[in-house]
Amino acid sequence: MNKEGTNAPTWSIDEIKKLVSDENGTLDARIYNDEALYDLELERVFARSWILLGHESHVPNTGDFLNTYIGEDPVILVRQKDASLRVFLNQCRHRGMKLSRDDAGNAKAFVCTYHGWAHDISGKLIDVPFEKEGHCDRLDKSEWSPLQARVETYRGLIFANWDEEAPSLDEYLSDSKPYIDVMFNRSEAGTEAIGGIQKWVIPTNWKFAAEQFCSDMYHAGTMSHLSGITAGLPENVTLNDIEIPTDGNQFRAKWGGHGTGYYVDQPGLIHAIMGPAITEYITASPQAEAASKRLGSSMFGQRMMGQHMSIFPTCSFLPGVNTIRTWHPRGPNEIEVWAFIVVDADAPEHIKEEFRKQNIRTFSAGGVFEQDDGENWIEVQKLFRGNKARKTKLNVQMGLGDSTTEHPDFPGRIGGVYSEDAARGMYQHWLRMMTEPSWDTLKP
Amino acid sequence: MASLINIDNIISSPAADLALQHEVQQFYYREALLLDNIKYEDWFALLDDDIHYYMPIRRNAMQRRGRARASDLAEYTNKHEFAHFDEDKATMNGRLRKLLSDYSWSENPASRTRHTVSNVIITEGEEDNTLNVCSSFIVYRNRLETQVDLFAGERHDVLRRSDNALGFKIAKRTVLMDQSTILSNNISIFF
Repeated sequence: MNKEGTNAPTWSIDEIKKLVSDENGTLDARIYNDEALYDLELERVFARSWILLGHESHVPNTGDFLNTYIGEDPVILVRQKDASLRVFLNQCRHRGMKLSRDDAGNAKAFVCTYHGWAHDISGKLIDVPFEKEGHCDRLDKSEWSPLQARVETYRGLIFANWDEEAPSLDEYLSDSKPYIDVMFNRSEAGTEAIGGIQKWVIPTNWKFAAEQFCSDMYHAGTMSHLSGITAGLPENVTLNDIEIPTDGNQFRAKWGGHGTGYYVDQPGLIHAIMGPAITEYITASPQAEAASKRLGSSMFGQRMMGQHMSIFPTCSFLPGVNTIRTWHPRGPNEIEVWAFIVVDADAPEHIKEEFRKQNIRTFSAGGVFEQDDGENWIEVQKLFRGNKARKTKLNVQMGLGDSTTEHPDFPGRIGGVYSEDAARGMYQHWLRMMTEPSWDTLKP
Repeated sequence: MASLINIDNIISSPAADLALQHEVQQFYYREALLLDNIKYEDWFALLDDDIHYYMPIRRNAMQRRGRARASDLAEYTNKHEFAHFDEDKATMNGRLRKLLSDYSWSENPASRTRHTVSNVIITEGEEDNTLNVCSSFIVYRNRLETQVDLFAGERHDVLRRSDNALGFKIAKRTVLMDQSTILSNNISIFF
């Protein structure tokens, strides 16, 4: 352990800077599996970034809580009496035991099951058994509450950040907000989560998952998901009869490593994933027209289709499919996927049910699309154990130099739908987080 | 509280007739052989037209007195919530179509599985020609070079008499998986 509290940081800042090149579009495969880099990531990326923890509707009432994670640190998200939210480390300051052990619920207090130190729902230590007899009034309880994180929300999504110096969530999301709004600001009623968080383990590095949702429309219609598409085709239609869309764009955030891509006016992919009822709901229903009014254009309300998006580092979602998840890192070689579904709060019940059923069918551990993602990522991850394979320079050059900030319909830095500009943006931001210790240089 | 499974009724039910017990177990052994030998079309043909193939998500919940585990909606997601599977005949046909395509990477090359089914308890069905059957399973999966997954759980089936070769079709299957976080990169096999 060094002073930073990490194990063996054998990487100097200069060495890390050589791992990723935004200019040349190259990656060093060690960013995906090096133990020492991962330890630095926990400190420099996960303890300084805004991490998605859940949705406001997961904790509607006072005392409602959700147990989740920031990086590998367990945290409790709790709704307070004044309707605000608190997030604190799920760890008693006495011997480090968890304060809460069920996935979610409603609590009046959090009592450690080891020696019984009790905390109120704001995370404040309020009672210590045999305090008088054992501590003889020498214990200042106000000094011994678990660490609190900052909590901020955007359009119903709850994010937390340990770093007091980090920019606000609003600044952090940078110019990506109009693209997030396509999924989360369609209606005045906002969104709500469908109950249940699906969790599963994939032996892969978190950056594969985050990058795919950030920047990779390429894999969907080329190879990875052909069988998933097949599963949703009408009986008399085959893969040979359909055309994979090509018109669309990719957006790379000017700061923060966020990215998204989408087709324009081509519902082929979203239709194959979600079926006719949802396609109609998001492109042609009265609700879709209302979304266009609210979002300022039919482009943002109805014409972007099959969208994928990641908010750096580990929040990813698919507007139109309406899955959203956090890729919780578990060492360099493993993630836990924590996925849930959101719907417009005022969507008709049959549409909410259709979103639920189609997500189970397509984007879940057993989903006909997502099954095959897990397959690719674990194979790549395992390959990087090889001495030569791990030193391989990887190509992330698609669309290099092609993006423009002058697109007539889409604000920000825009390239073609088959591009890796957003991936380069993600890795460049990762590099900055890993090599710039101060927000003075790093801030937006 | 609405209940997922009435486990008390199953526990207190009388033992089934020996011949019937034998018949149902033999059906399950043959069904397992279909799955373990990747005879996808034959296995999917066992699903009746009104099939409901359902696997709720399981959560960690503190025990409360008087709550029976398998009927506990704090522990299992309910029918309006997220699930691992919630399939009808049409979506199961889509899954079959995926498996039979050349691009179903999660099962191509196919997993090697071993479905072991035991603890079979038969109770009366709601229709004349149906049986309610509770069973336990352990499914071993090995795939590619070194991947190993082990799944265990409980199945609650409605079996319907049929004139097919195996004597039954599956009208309903609820799978209660003994994992909250699924400890596998996907669930590309059936239980």
